[in-house]
Amino acid sequence: MDNVNGNAYALTILSPIKNGFIQAEEIAYADKVRDLLQGWNMLPNSPMTRVPQTYLCRYFVLDDVYTESLPGAGALDTFSDLLPYIPDFVRRGALPKGDHLKSKYLVFSCNFHGGPSGDVDAYLRGMWNAISDRIKEVWGYCYGFEQVNDAASFARYMKKCQLTASLFFVGSNDEPLEEQLKALYLKQELAKFAVANQGLSATVLRANYRDFIKRVAPANPSAPTWTAGMYRL
Amino acid sequence: MSNIAGKAYAMNVITPIRPYTAWVNKLIFWIALKFPSTLRGLITLSLIHYARWVIIGRNQFPHLDPSQPKEDLNYSYMLFFSNFNGSWDQYVDSFTFSIPDGLDMFWKWNIRYSKSVALTPFHEYIQYNQIETLHYYNAYPLAASNDIKGAKTVKDALIAFDKDAQAGTDAEFLQRYHALLRGLQHDLGDMYPTPIVTMSAYQVEKRRQWHAGKLNGGRQ
Repeated sequence: MDNVNGNAYALTILSPIKNGFIQAEEIAYADKVRDLLQGWNMLPNSPMTRVPQTYLCRYFVLDDVYTESLPGAGALDTFSDLLPYIPDFVRRGALPKGDHLKSKYLVFSCNFHGGPSGDVDAYLRGMWNAISDRIKEVWGYCYGFEQVNDAASFARYMKKCQLTASLFFVGSNDEPLEEQLKALYLKQELAKFAVANQGLSATVLRANYRDFIKRVAPANPSAPTWTAGMYRL
Repeated sequence: MSNIAGKAYAMNVITPIRPYTAWVNKLIFWIALKFPSTLRGLITLSLIHYARWVIIGRNQFPHLDPSQPKEDLNYSYMLFFSNFNGSWDQYVDSFTFSIPDGLDMFWKWNIRYSKSVALTPFHEYIQYNQIETLHYYNAYPLAASNDIKGAKTVKDALIAFDKDAQAGTDAEFLQRYHALLRGLQHDLGDMYPTPIVTMSAYQVEKRRQWHAGKLNGGRQ
């Protein structure tokens, strides 16, 4: 069981949200968290663009777990579903039990570049330094968050909420984010260059190529490049 | 709600598993980790960015404060998170068609798992247990997983090509340049935004158009 695969890290956080509600707004804490996260969708871009090395991440509220009321494919399920003459108490005994959570949980699931050692502390400190205002806003309704007041205490708090992945599959690339964004920029630019420079003489093409390389600076990851979360060309 | 961020879709599925069979599932995952060849089927599904399975014991839900009520659950729970390209149907069906056995192996011990074949009960099972994402962020909304993998190949090839770009005659350069493009045929190709890249992008665009008077009912 490991959260690390190559240089990629799978961070899974379940933070229990306080039961109760904000009296002035007549809204449950969990709904307030939901409302705030929905509000992020209305911003020009996600606050997570500012958090270094984040590949992909998501937030949702786990209100409750599910009772499996649909028939499954197991032999016992089928047997008890198909044979109505079995006494009711036996059939009821074979039904899945109903479970309910006593708290709702803020779930934060993130994939980021953590390096081969999986440096989750550095990531969490970077997250706090980049968006502490947003973090306080959303996590402020969670149990135990009162003790968080700086990057180190935030990292400690998050690790208490962390779950370990049983299996983490990386189907993409695990390089640092700036390398990935630079590579995407180069792919886009080289494709455009190849199309625009078809059928030219070798001399002209070579001169154009020199200008192209000077402009795109392939070995420089910082510029020019795509920015994190960029959704327009 | 926003399960979509650019070309990626976020799937969250939570399913109950009996505590005394959860360890079997953990063992299966451990074997899959130790013998990566067992994940060959998953690797063929090149539409996946990242996926993970997390098993939470029924007593392992984070408890952070004495005032927080302790959970009292009958089952342990398996959480599945995936980031993939394409639609929900395409993804679920590609799993069913490519790695039905692998899928059954990972979910086999979950309560009332329907099996991946036939499709309709499997769709129902996933839909029933899926949780919608509230906010989904993608660092590269314009790119699919294959674009990201291809981009790395392009970058490495271009840097290697550039080392000798100034050597030899122009004709030799042209020959090498053509070889570069031929070698990158599978990886080149430009990227464009999907119609709705993110819910935020969509809303921002809508407001911009409204202010510019380009949207029905917008400011004139």
